[in-house]
Amino acid sequence: MTIDLILNGILQGLILAIVSYSILIPFRFLDFADLTSEGAYPLGGAICATCLSFAGLSPIFAVFLSMLATGSVGICTALIHLKFKINTMLAGIILSAMAYSVNLRIMGKPNIALFNCSAMFSLDIATNIVKLVMILALIIFPLSLFLRTDFGLRFRAVGLNKDFAVKQKISIEKNTILGLFLAGALAGLAGGLIVQIQSYMDIGMGVGILIHGLASLMIGETIIGVKTINRQLLAPLIGAIIYQQIQGLALSFGLAPSDLKFFTGAIVLLVIAMRAKNPIA
Amino acid sequence: MLELKQITKSFPGIFEPVLNGISLRLAVGEFCVVIGANGSGKSTLLKIISGEYLADSGEITRQGAVCEVGQDVNKGTVSSLTLLENVALSQIRKEKPKFAFYNRFKQDIIKEIKKIGIGLEKLINQPISSLSGGQRQIIATLMAFNSGGQILALDEHTSALDPKMQIMLMEYSVKSIMEQNLTTLMITHKMDDAIKYGNRLIMLNKGKIVVDIKESEKSKLKTQDLLEMFHKYEDQVLLPGGTK
Repeated sequence: MTIDLILNGILQGLILAIVSYSILIPFRFLDFADLTSEGAYPLGGAICATCLSFAGLSPIFAVFLSMLATGSVGICTALIHLKFKINTMLAGIILSAMAYSVNLRIMGKPNIALFNCSAMFSLDIATNIVKLVMILALIIFPLSLFLRTDFGLRFRAVGLNKDFAVKQKISIEKNTILGLFLAGALAGLAGGLIVQIQSYMDIGMGVGILIHGLASLMIGETIIGVKTINRQLLAPLIGAIIYQQIQGLALSFGLAPSDLKFFTGAIVLLVIAMRAKNPIA
Repeated sequence: MLELKQITKSFPGIFEPVLNGISLRLAVGEFCVVIGANGSGKSTLLKIISGEYLADSGEITRQGAVCEVGQDVNKGTVSSLTLLENVALSQIRKEKPKFAFYNRFKQDIIKEIKKIGIGLEKLINQPISSLSGGQRQIIATLMAFNSGGQILALDEHTSALDPKMQIMLMEYSVKSIMEQNLTTLMITHKMDDAIKYGNRLIMLNKGKIVVDIKESEKSKLKTQDLLEMFHKYEDQVLLPGGTK
């Protein structure tokens, strides 16, 4: 039973890790505080669930469509900020609010059950974990290679020193659009995968997911640091798994599930306070 | 080659134009020193040349890309990237980015850094933030030379450094300018440097070029002459305020 709990925590942690990557890319590489994942995650779920239950598409293709759509939302956030000079967070919040209505339109009803649809996942938690690990490897490995290329280096320079990047003739616009597309697509991927794992999509899914992802990222960074690209890239994964286990622990100590958001916020604030005292290298 | 024709530039809220009909032609390899009081329009002129500002009117022709080094040591480099990554960024600008690992530049970059001769190549994998201000400014200058531009804009690039470092950086800059035959504009407040370096000298006053000394005359210039010129124009501004 406990093993099941831990495995389930790891499974949830791996999904959360994908969200955490969608936060890592804009926050850490582009210095773009992006909140789009809050809307992109349920949008990804809504599109995937609708494709599976009404259109009967293949699960992989459904997830692909989710990513395409949520990646486009990321591009919209980027464009709203770049063209209208609207604060990055505000742009993300506005789009996330709008996504809620879109989700309802897409789904046609507040929730969709997927028990009779084909899915990428089975009922066996261990196989599902292996599949998710493979998906994460397909995210982390190419990302790590990309960041070591000429384009990747210029991409990082955008977030580290914008004035410098402009003088080096690096396009802020193109790199921001690329980064937010990736971020949006990853959040949509996580949404599309979780509805297949749960066999269920609910319109209220993912409220506060951004805070969970951010908490994971910060916990990971605090534990393994950000000194090298490898460490920065492993931080979301390690952070998400640890964070999910902390949550499981908190629940087993008798915390009500409804208290979890308060608990998460407190963790985020705690980590921020710790960092203010001892900045991580 | 760099040519400016009747460039004017104003900023909102400032009554008089900062640049008021500047015309200047620099041949390839010409090294022009720019002097003038604070607020005379020197930095604005450089920013027009680099493309950071757009002129209100007038024409500008640039043959080749403009690379620049400013006064602020924090702006010329990315502090959390390593020495290698910083210099690689300038190399990439020269060669156009590819889907290849930037590590391929490592040997070339070490060779370039060795030429400076102060042992910075040992710090190749350290973040720039671990270097001193002077060392960072030298790297920023190296990056400007390394980025493949044909026009170089230096805005008091040695001013934040200690005297020894200033001389070292100036010597390194001049050597590289000669080697690459760069068309150069250098702003300085140091009259000795203005005399010693370059083959042309212009002085700005209220957004206009008021003095333009070419090669043969410039070599005869003395610091005293420059100071006199300075006072001739600037005292008109300073005397009424009684600060002189």
